[in-house]
Amino acid sequence: MRVLASLLLLVASAALAAPVRYPEVRPHAGFRFPADHGAHPAYRIEWWYVTGWLRTERGQDMGFQVTFFRTRPPVGDANPSRFAARQVLFAHAALSDPRVGRLLHGERSARAGFGLAGAKVGDADVAIRDWRLRRLPDGRFATRVGTEEFVLDLTFQPTQPPIAQGVNGYSRKGPRPSQASYYYSLPHLRVSGVAARGTAHERVTGEAWLDREWSSDFLSPEAEGWDWTGLNLDDGSALTAFQVRRKGGGVVWAGGSLRRANGRVTQFAPGDVRFRTLRRWRSAATGAVYPVAQELSVRLPEGVRRFPLQPLFPAQELDSRRSGLPVYWEGAVRTTGGRGYLELTGYTAPLAM
Amino acid sequence: MPALSPLLSVRDLAKSVPPARRLFGGLDLAVEAGELVAILGESGVGKSTLLNILAGLDDADEGEVLVEGVALGPLDEAARTRLRRERIGFVFQAFHILPYLTLRQNVALPLALVRPDARAAASRAEEMLGAVGLAGRGDGYARDLSGGELQRVAIARALVHSPALILADEPTGNLDPETAGRVLALFADAVRERGAAAVLVTHSEATAAVADRVLTLTAEGLVER
Amino acid sequence: MKAEPGLVRSRLALSWLIAGEWRWHPLRFALTAVAIAVGVALGFAVHLVNGSALRSFDRAVTGVNGAAELAVRASSPLGFDELLYPRVALAAGVADASPVVRLRAQANGRRFDLLGLDVMRAANVTPSLVGQRPNGPDARGDEVFGEDALFLSREALAQLETRVGARVSVTANGRTVPLTVAGLLPAIGEGQAIGVLDIAAAQWRFGRLGRLDRIDLKLADRTAAEAALSDLLPADATLSGAEAEAQQGAGLSRAYRVNLDMLALVALLTGGFLVFSAQSLSVARRLRAFALLRTLGLPKRGIVAAVAAEGLLIGLIGSAAGLAIGYGLASLALRLFGGDLGAGYFNGASGRVAFQPAAAIVFFLLGLAAAVLGSVLPARAASRAAPAAALKNAGDVLDPRAPVPWRPALVLLVAGAGAALLPAVGGLPLFGFASMALLLAGGVAGVPWLARRLLGPLAKRPTARVPALLAVRHIHGAPGEAATALCGIVASTALMIAMATMVTSFRGAVDEWLGQVLAADLYLRVEGGPGFDPAAQAALRATPGVQEIAFSRQLPLTIKPERPPVTLIARAETGRPDALIGSVERVSSPPGTVPVWVSEPARRLYGWDPGETIRLPVSGGAARFHVAGVWRDYARQFGAVVLRAGDYQRLTGDATRDEAAVTLAPGVRGEGVGRAMLARLEPEQRRLTSFAAPRALRRFALELFDRSFAVTYVLEGVAILVGLAGVAATVSAQTMARTREFGMLRHLGVAKRQITAMLGLEGALLGLVGGVAGVLLGGALAQVLIHVINPQSFNFTMTTRVPWGTVAGVVAALVLAGAGTAVLAGRRATAKDAVLAVREDW
Repeated sequence: MRVLASLLLLVASAALAAPVRYPEVRPHAGFRFPADHGAHPAYRIEWWYVTGWLRTERGQDMGFQVTFFRTRPPVGDANPSRFAARQVLFAHAALSDPRVGRLLHGERSARAGFGLAGAKVGDADVAIRDWRLRRLPDGRFATRVGTEEFVLDLTFQPTQPPIAQGVNGYSRKGPRPSQASYYYSLPHLRVSGVAARGTAHERVTGEAWLDREWSSDFLSPEAEGWDWTGLNLDDGSALTAFQVRRKGGGVVWAGGSLRRANGRVTQFAPGDVRFRTLRRWRSAATGAVYPVAQELSVRLPEGVRRFPLQPLFPAQELDSRRSGLPVYWEGAVRTTGGRGYLELTGYTAPLAM
Repeated sequence: MPALSPLLSVRDLAKSVPPARRLFGGLDLAVEAGELVAILGESGVGKSTLLNILAGLDDADEGEVLVEGVALGPLDEAARTRLRRERIGFVFQAFHILPYLTLRQNVALPLALVRPDARAAASRAEEMLGAVGLAGRGDGYARDLSGGELQRVAIARALVHSPALILADEPTGNLDPETAGRVLALFADAVRERGAAAVLVTHSEATAAVADRVLTLTAEGLVER
Repeated sequence: MKAEPGLVRSRLALSWLIAGEWRWHPLRFALTAVAIAVGVALGFAVHLVNGSALRSFDRAVTGVNGAAELAVRASSPLGFDELLYPRVALAAGVADASPVVRLRAQANGRRFDLLGLDVMRAANVTPSLVGQRPNGPDARGDEVFGEDALFLSREALAQLETRVGARVSVTANGRTVPLTVAGLLPAIGEGQAIGVLDIAAAQWRFGRLGRLDRIDLKLADRTAAEAALSDLLPADATLSGAEAEAQQGAGLSRAYRVNLDMLALVALLTGGFLVFSAQSLSVARRLRAFALLRTLGLPKRGIVAAVAAEGLLIGLIGSAAGLAIGYGLASLALRLFGGDLGAGYFNGASGRVAFQPAAAIVFFLLGLAAAVLGSVLPARAASRAAPAAALKNAGDVLDPRAPVPWRPALVLLVAGAGAALLPAVGGLPLFGFASMALLLAGGVAGVPWLARRLLGPLAKRPTARVPALLAVRHIHGAPGEAATALCGIVASTALMIAMATMVTSFRGAVDEWLGQVLAADLYLRVEGGPGFDPAAQAALRATPGVQEIAFSRQLPLTIKPERPPVTLIARAETGRPDALIGSVERVSSPPGTVPVWVSEPARRLYGWDPGETIRLPVSGGAARFHVAGVWRDYARQFGAVVLRAGDYQRLTGDATRDEAAVTLAPGVRGEGVGRAMLARLEPEQRRLTSFAAPRALRRFALELFDRSFAVTYVLEGVAILVGLAGVAATVSAQTMARTREFGMLRHLGVAKRQITAMLGLEGALLGLVGGVAGVLLGGALAQVLIHVINPQSFNFTMTTRVPWGTVAGVVAALVLAGAGTAVLAGRRATAKDAVLAVREDW
């Protein structure tokens, strides 16, 4: 789900006027790795989305986010210019440190080309200038991102196979079958590396979650925004849940999955997922009011299970309007018997560049 | 000569003028307060030069001039200027009434040079104008007046700041005899009334007649008559 | 012993004196104040106009550049290879880099700067160049990368008379592309017509694939970046900061502006001389009044103080009025002539007058200083006069036998001549101006001597006619008095003659040069397009009636980022010897070298001497050239380099040409052939191409020349008017001051008519002496202008041509003005009763 829809709004929403044809997302036989770790440039949008918890050597907890987006603007192939914006890349990096009490973040964007930015086909390797996320030959993922305030240099060791969300990875996002994405997640990634702030370098370890998703069209026009969460539970299971909110109230679509420690996966139908607001937080910077604490209920075969989601701290709003990008809330959350990330979008006024 | 120092005293004065002429020949003169001395002389004998030396506008080569006991010779320019504007009054042959000042301002000029008090200066000048018979004419200008009247303004100006010494150079030279007589009488009265010492330089016997003492200046010096 | 009696205590008397003089001669005071006002007004106006023009030019530069602190720029409009971009972007010290394609575009008949940008890079590096879509429910985001989305500055939107959402046909680089106005550039300031388009679309649609014109940089470490980039850049790109760009803009017109400023100061100087004249006379007239006051006990300094206070009043009033008038003049001039006063330096950069407080203060003080100095100098002289003598005598006792001092004048003149030999300082002929000032001062100081010299023979000649005798002997006997009256007029005449001589020489040189340059029968030129490609060239060559056609290409080439670019001219070799090339100097090039011929200004600016090997950023590789000759060029102040067309094409691969010189077959008419040639071009190109006969070009060039010197003419005119007014004022004042003398003469039996004749003659003689002095001095100043100031500031040399007509006219005007005012004043002075005049006290 994630923040992509805002980006779509920004750069690629003009499906009607598009002179390019994007492939439609349909049910398929399943993913092929490592090719599906790499880019799918024909689709309009795609992302590599890492969120997780870090622990410093002194035992302090922090949340982090490293995200790379790839979009294909509605630009035709006719223009022979090397600058033609056939592929555009965005990246966000954020660090939630309770000692700071607010989100530190930075962003990059560029059109692909000139060796300055690109998303490789065949295996995960996406970069904008000096920001990069890729899969190493040994199967680990590695990233290095830096802003003026912090630098993250991390590797992620998979400990479990990917979860194919929906039906073999065909994940519906709306009432129309085409409103869907290819979606897999890699939970319980073992993190190690360095987090630097200013001149202080700290070795960190932790647990992260990689979401991979690509699509051409899935956001229903009546959607206002969405809530998403991915939780690494202490027993080794992983819970994914999302809902697409309807403008004016209600839910357009919902979904998710629970993979138990034994590998058995339960996929959720729209009626199986419910979010209930426990606490709201108002951003002084944007005026948006976010339900930063929620109670997530999912219907499982054994009955409804409830997960209270409590943020590491409330001020985890990511405001990158300065770079012309959207505003959303992406925060580290705790739950009973687990930790993860919560994403809240569409809580500000309609976005304008 | 009295034992007390006279108001003006000149001792052994002489001045060389080119080419190789020596004026005054060691001239001695003493003028008491309230005394009006006339100095007669031919043209070129140095009457005006003598007057200039008495005023500190020119320097002698020998001898000394004392005004109220102060020798002029050693005084610098500034001190002489101060002496002139505080202790000496002048009357000229050409009346030298500034055309662009009112008569009152002309008369008040010596006061205005010393103290920036326009009101006091004006009332004193008006008083002086009354004394010379021109009461109420203070707002007029030089062009409104006849020669005799102009010289009366000049006399008022010479006396307005109550100087100790008044120097007059042919004060009636530009006037007809009748007017001259009236102006001279006024001048003599004013000087005596105020107890000032006055030196009047002229070539006219008639003018000299108003003086208490008449001296003749020749190449050899002063000769008393 | 106490100090000299305080002036403070005498202030009442001093104020009476000044107020009395004001009441008595209000007109004289007003006129002197006017002289100062004119000087201050001219100076301030010229300065304001220059400042406003420069400011709007600066604004335009920052606008187009989006205020990037450092940028890599192409040396010529050919641009540089886009593959430089990633290397620059990743260079040490560079935080981000924004590639730019820059086009001179045209739409709806209006020109604007069209920039092709990558909006994501620009958002980081030059945010002011990022467009904004209109907000609204149907706002879409895809315009950002849209191939036809055009973002316009408000000024461009207004000039193009279009609106957001409308379609507009944009022509650039010879191609016309329909675009949609997608939004505004809200951060671009007023007065700047700028459009922004996606860089890929700009490259593709306007034929600039593979090329960039600029890379704007955001720096992490400037020192590191400058070091890294200077190693990285090819020959056809330079690194330049915002300062260099502004410097280049200022450099374009700096010499011209400094010259104007100097002219304005000259006007002020003339005003100062006028005050000096007027105050000298006023002081002379009041000599006895001052003597009286000294006798009554006013210290020496009191007189100086009184006159200085008068000068101060004159200066205050004159300067204040001058500032107001200057501001008005500047607004008017900007509206009428544009920011460069018609000289063509700032294209389209006009703007409103910006009041400059610092400049206002400076000019106010200059005006004040001129007035006070002009007053204090004569007052000091007067205060030195012995009061007793001054009182006794009816004025200055002049001795006609007294020798006239000539040494100060000689010293000043020699110093002036010496200063002229010194080189320019920082590209400005400062010593040249110092030389002019010294010569001027020396010349004015020498006027008494000259008057004595000129009138010597006349004075010796026995004459029976009383008026002539009196007139000649008066000026001959008192030349200092004449000089006082004349210093203003001598100064202004000299400057006017100098300027006129310089301009005439320049114009003559340009005219002659045009004759040499325009040797062909017909000229073709493409404006704002990509030029004639080989096909078009062949079509033109094949036009019936064309005997020979020589194509050439002109483009600006940046040698140093802080200097305006030189013009690179690629010329086809013709069989005939070229009158232009090597017209100053030529050497033969050794085989195997690429010869270039540099213009005279280029040689002066860059020190390229014949026989030298130089580098030119003609292509990406480092190209070396042999300087084979120097040629005279008045068209391109910042230099030009001629290259053979073959060499040019080999180095750049650019086969297009934008100019052609046509030799016609015998017996055909140029007009018809020109039309036929146009008809053979593509319609698109036909619109952009024009042809002209040499005569029309010549006329056009000279018109341009005259327009650019129009302000100079105006300033000259004002200087001479101020001077004439000065002569009128001083002559009449002097005449009035001699009323008693006239009364005496009448007593002696001189008829009124004779006195008038005498005065007329005196006035005429004064005018003549002033005129001759002014012309002589002006001739000397002109030589400084032509041989020192002009080459140093405009890089042009020329031979002297004297504007005899102007010289004769000016001298005649002076003689007439002198005579006329003297006669008029004499009438008034002799109207009074002779008896009264003699008796008159003052």
